[in-house]
Amino acid sequence: MRCKKAEQWISRSLDGRLDGREKGLLEEHLAACPSCRKAEAEYRSMTALLRNGKECDPAPRFWERLEPRLREEREIVPLLVYERFALRAVPVFLALVALAAGLLFFTPRSEELTRSEALLLENINPLAETRTLFEEEKPENRNMMLIFASAEDTAPARRRMP
Amino acid sequence: MEDRELVRLAREGSQGAFEKLVTRYQSKVFSMALSFTRNREAADDLAQEVFLKAYLALPRFKGKSEFGTWLYRISINHIRDFLRKKSRAKEVSLEEAGEIAFSDSDQADKAAREAETETRRGLVRRFVESLPDKYRVILTLRDIQGLPYEQIARVLGLSPGTVDSRLHRARKMLKTKMSPHLRREGGFDEM
Repeated sequence: MRCKKAEQWISRSLDGRLDGREKGLLEEHLAACPSCRKAEAEYRSMTALLRNGKECDPAPRFWERLEPRLREEREIVPLLVYERFALRAVPVFLALVALAAGLLFFTPRSEELTRSEALLLENINPLAETRTLFEEEKPENRNMMLIFASAEDTAPARRRMP
Repeated sequence: MEDRELVRLAREGSQGAFEKLVTRYQSKVFSMALSFTRNREAADDLAQEVFLKAYLALPRFKGKSEFGTWLYRISINHIRDFLRKKSRAKEVSLEEAGEIAFSDSDQADKAAREAETETRRGLVRRFVESLPDKYRVILTLRDIQGLPYEQIARVLGLSPGTVDSRLHRARKMLKTKMSPHLRREGGFDEM
């Protein structure tokens, strides 16, 4: 057995993880190798120093000191959850506002009124003009009136702002 | 009552059940914190924080592992964070370390020998602190806390084979660090 392997097995033997055959082989090697014997002694004393063997108790009234902290956490946690959701709600709200603004901006608005609508809004019968137009006896005058009337219709009437 | 049952009750909001779990594990958690920090006050604070974390994480505990293993995992992670933040001086000076040797004076009385053992124990622990994190953790769990391989593997999420090789490497590193301070051939005897 090589010393490197023996050292590995020494470590395992500290934890009782060698089977009978391995234990025998290690003992054989240790009997013949003074440096590994020394290493084994060092490993054993080192782990013995590390092993405390006893559990330590914390300062007295451990639970009595812990309990108020748990209560505090219980009170804080729902608040934290609320805050987390409240913080998430801010960007959602802003996004909704932006969406609404976008919809208002891009929706085609019927700002322009037709001539008839404008007349109706002014409480004037739109047919009254037409009637005068058709009552004109001279055809040339009627034609001229029709031309002007159609020209007027293309100029849209603005919706009155309140 | 078994842990599983207590965990179930604690998850349902029973303060009494959680208190029982705390009482059952407080010494284990405290001892682990103490073995890392070597400071009772800091270890006590850490133990409290570990239980606080466990309490808050309890709704997420699915019971796939044992409660003790889960709690150990929380403890290890919390202690690691604490040590990382604290970033304590890791190197042990030669002056501080002195010579770790067994006093072979036959006249030394028992109390003095015990005191000496405690001093040597403290020094060895300081050498453990100077090891890289992963070796320090495994050495603490196995050689100081005495956890079985299987539990260490579960706590650290490693295979038993990795635990075996890492532990060997950790012990070897510690022995190498301590070697210059050994006075007598054959190492330093315990007690």
